[in-house]
Amino acid sequence: MGRSLIRPIVIMGVMYAVLKFVLPNIPGSAELPFSLILLYLLLTLSGIIIFETVSAESKDAFWGPMQKFLTGDNIGGLKPFRYGILIFFPLLVGWQTYNATAPSGQPPTESRVIHPAPPGEYTGLVNPVPRTPENIMQGKGFYAAFCSPCHGANFDGKGPAARGYNPPPANFADPTTIAMLQESYLFWRIKKGGVGLPIEGMPWKSAMPRWELELPDEWIWKIIMGEYDGAHQSPRTWE
Amino acid sequence: MNPVKSTAQWSAYVKGVLIIALIVGGWTDGLAQESVAVRAPLISGALPVDDPNAAVWNSAAPAVFPMSPQVHWPDRIQEVTVQDLTVRALHDGTQVAFLLEYDDPTEDPDDAAAIEFMVGDKKAHFAHGQPMLLVDGGPVNIWFWKHKDGKAVDMWAKGFGTLRPHSHQDVKAKGEYANGKWRIVFSRSLVTDHPDEDMQVTPGQFINIAFAVWDGRKDATGQLIEKGSQKAVSSWWYFRAEPPPDYSGYLYAGVAAVLALGFQFVLIRKLKEGQSA
Repeated sequence: MGRSLIRPIVIMGVMYAVLKFVLPNIPGSAELPFSLILLYLLLTLSGIIIFETVSAESKDAFWGPMQKFLTGDNIGGLKPFRYGILIFFPLLVGWQTYNATAPSGQPPTESRVIHPAPPGEYTGLVNPVPRTPENIMQGKGFYAAFCSPCHGANFDGKGPAARGYNPPPANFADPTTIAMLQESYLFWRIKKGGVGLPIEGMPWKSAMPRWELELPDEWIWKIIMGEYDGAHQSPRTWE
Repeated sequence: MNPVKSTAQWSAYVKGVLIIALIVGGWTDGLAQESVAVRAPLISGALPVDDPNAAVWNSAAPAVFPMSPQVHWPDRIQEVTVQDLTVRALHDGTQVAFLLEYDDPTEDPDDAAAIEFMVGDKKAHFAHGQPMLLVDGGPVNIWFWKHKDGKAVDMWAKGFGTLRPHSHQDVKAKGEYANGKWRIVFSRSLVTDHPDEDMQVTPGQFINIAFAVWDGRKDATGQLIEKGSQKAVSSWWYFRAEPPPDYSGYLYAGVAAVLALGFQFVLIRKLKEGQSA
C-alpha cells in the first residue's frame, strides 16, 4: 500500500480515537453519540479526499493504490484482505439496514428532567423563618412525620415506603440534589409536589404529595431548614 | 502468500470483520431492562381466562414490580403486606389476559387487587389520574377485583373522587388462593367500543400500566388495615401485546446487501476498464 494511503488512514484512526476516547474525558464533556462521531468522520474523509485530489499528481498517488488494491493482480498477502472487504461491505450495509428497519421492541425511552426550572414566583424567595436551633429541631420533627417515610430517616431517599416508586424519592445526602438548589426551589417542590412539575419533569409518575393542601407555609420552611441540617448540606447561594 | 498460513489468516480476517462490525454497528441492544414492561406473547390456543394455574402462563415471561405504601394523598398508609407483584400476560389477537401473583399470608374476603391503565394519548397521573397543575392530563381505566365479590369491576377515573364503574362491564377476573399466594387472572378483549373510557390494546404498542393490592386482614378491633387509598401501589410501567413476528427487516437487509454487492461489482468493472483503456 502506498505511503499516500497510510496518512489518511492514520488521520481517520486518530480522529476516531480522539472523538471516542479523548473528548468524553475532557471535563464538562460527555460521550458523543455514534451518529455525531460518524458525521465528524465523514467530514474528515471529505476533507482528506478534497486535499488529496487537488492536483492530478496527488490524485493519482491517492487513488492509484486503492485501485491497485481493488483490481490489481500482484498484491500478494493483501488478497484475502481485498476479499474480506468485498464480503464485509455488503454485510455491513445489510446489517445497518436491518438495525434501521427492524422493530426495536424496547419501551419508549424516557428522559426525565430531575430539576426542571421553577415558575418565576418561586425563584429567589428567602426563608422567612429564623434559623434557630428550635426551628431546625421542629423542622426535623415535621420531616420525620411527613417526609421520612419516603426520603428516609437518614435523608438518603431510602425510606420504608420508597421501594416501589419510580422515580425514586430524592436523596438529600447526595451533593447533586438539595446542595445544588436554593431554598425557594425546595419550597416550590414541597408545596406543589409531583403534580406541580412541568411536563419535562413527568408529573404523572411522581408520588410526591402536594403539601400546600395539608401543611402551612411556615412548616414547609421549617422542614427545608431541618432537611439541610439533617443531610449536612447547605443551600446553593449566588457566588 | 504461504498457503499453509491461509486458514489462520482467514480466521483472523473473520474475527477482524466481526469486531469492526460490532464497533461500526454500535452495541445497540443495551442491557436487558428487567421489569420495566409486561409483555404479552401472542399464543394460538385459548387464553386461560379462568385458570390462574394453567401451564400456558409459563410461556409468558414474568415481570416483577416493587410495591410501596400509598403515600401520595390522604388517607396514607405507612406499611403494606405486599412488597412485590409478579405479572404475566398473554394475548391471542382478540383477547388479553393478565396474571397477578403475590404473597399474602392469609386469605381474607376483602383481599383485592387492581390494574390501572392510561386511556388515550394524554398522560394521566398514576394516582387515579388526578389533575396535574401544568400538564393537561387524561383519564385512567381501572380493573378491580375483590375476593368476596368474585368478579371484576371495570372502572374509570380522572382525579380524586371521580372513580366510578363503567355502565358497560367488559372485564372478567378470577382469583385463586393457595399456599400463601394469590393468583388472579384479569381478561378483556383487546379493543372495546369505548375508546374514551377503556384502554385499547394495539399489538406492538406500549401502554402505561400500574397496579394496586389490598391485603384484606383486620386489626384487633376488627377494622380493615388496608382499605380505599390505604393500599400497596406500583408506579407506572409499560405493557405491550407482542405483535406477530415481523421478518421484513431481514428482507430489507437482504435487498440492501445485494444492492451493495452490485455496486461493488460495477465499481470494480469500471476500475478494470479504466486500467485497460
